[in-house]
Amino acid sequence: MRTKALYHWTKKIHTWAGLLTFSAFVVWGVTGIHAVFLPAAGEFTPPPVSSVREMAFQAPGDLDDQELSQAIFEAAEIPLAGGRYNVHRDENLNLAFNVFTINGGRELTYYEDRGVVEIAHRKNSLWSYFSSMHTAHSNRHQLVPAASAWGYFNEMATWAFLFMTISGVYMWIATRPFLTWARLSLAGMALLMLVLWIVIR
Amino acid sequence: MFRLMRNIHLGLGLVFVLMAMIFAVSSLVIIYRPLLGVSPEKSERTVQLSEQAAAGGPRAAARELMENEGFRGELRQIQEDGDKVSFRIFRPGEGVLVEYSPASRQAKVERTRHGALETMVQLHVNHGFWHDYGPSNIWALIGFLASVGLLLLGVTGIYLWWVGKTDRAVGSVLVSFSLVFGAVCLYLTRLQQ
Repeated sequence: MRTKALYHWTKKIHTWAGLLTFSAFVVWGVTGIHAVFLPAAGEFTPPPVSSVREMAFQAPGDLDDQELSQAIFEAAEIPLAGGRYNVHRDENLNLAFNVFTINGGRELTYYEDRGVVEIAHRKNSLWSYFSSMHTAHSNRHQLVPAASAWGYFNEMATWAFLFMTISGVYMWIATRPFLTWARLSLAGMALLMLVLWIVIR
Repeated sequence: MFRLMRNIHLGLGLVFVLMAMIFAVSSLVIIYRPLLGVSPEKSERTVQLSEQAAAGGPRAAARELMENEGFRGELRQIQEDGDKVSFRIFRPGEGVLVEYSPASRQAKVERTRHGALETMVQLHVNHGFWHDYGPSNIWALIGFLASVGLLLLGVTGIYLWWVGKTDRAVGSVLVSFSLVFGAVCLYLTRLQQ
């Protein structure tokens, strides 16, 4: 009786979890397929510049490059900015740095003589955007309500996914454990992955 | 049709359950990394390269280290700056950074070995079939097929739920919420340019 109830509720929750998190599954699946077509390590080329805007900015004279880049970063108010990096001087000795965002990176260059910051946006593709959103969780991509909400949802879907893997195996064992093809499928893949794990470890 | 879909759902689930667990566990490791306090084992030593390896360029030096020191993986990030040459030998779970001078033949070798959890994270992000290290390509293939499998599991799962006729009302609300919520969040976030 208890086993029947356990199976009944496990199946129900497994189904509900799958239906509730279906959109996350789609984003993850699409991201995983797209990843095959990403360039090899060291061969990444950024997308072309999609737009450029200029912003007036006068720097206090007593800031070093890191402090100045932080001041520019705060003034630029780039949507969904995930932090600045690669603070450096370009070939003309202008302060330059990059800002990561979910919708593509920004390259900022400060032309101190003109008092202008040039912000070049390299908008990413929809696939790269999905890839970025598939990494969202409660401590990341927290910058607008929609992104925050998706982050919490994505994290919840991860827990649901783990539950579904375990509950799925349980339901198989509880109903059709003697299916030969099912056993061979699981055993075959398990053996392959065990060998691969040993090889890389 | 129901039986076929049920068997497809079961088959895909069993074939990819372990890779799915790697994806799920590694995702949780990434999310909660600050709480987990996982840290790799690091070791460092100096190795004397042979004359041929030191003079033969970074690929020759890497090959000698792989043969003599037992490092496995693919060669990455070769950088040469005057008399300093550096490169990495990488495979999921372990990375070796080598810096050497062709003149002195002294190579500083820093080995970073990750535990099981971090190795799963590296398998999670491992992608593409361009790796020089064969097992990485196989892992990437499994990951790719698991991604396809995930989509098919979702579609067959929805079919099984609908045809099963139980919880249609609750299920309809849940899947509708998922699709609308997901679409709205993704659309609104994409508008933030």
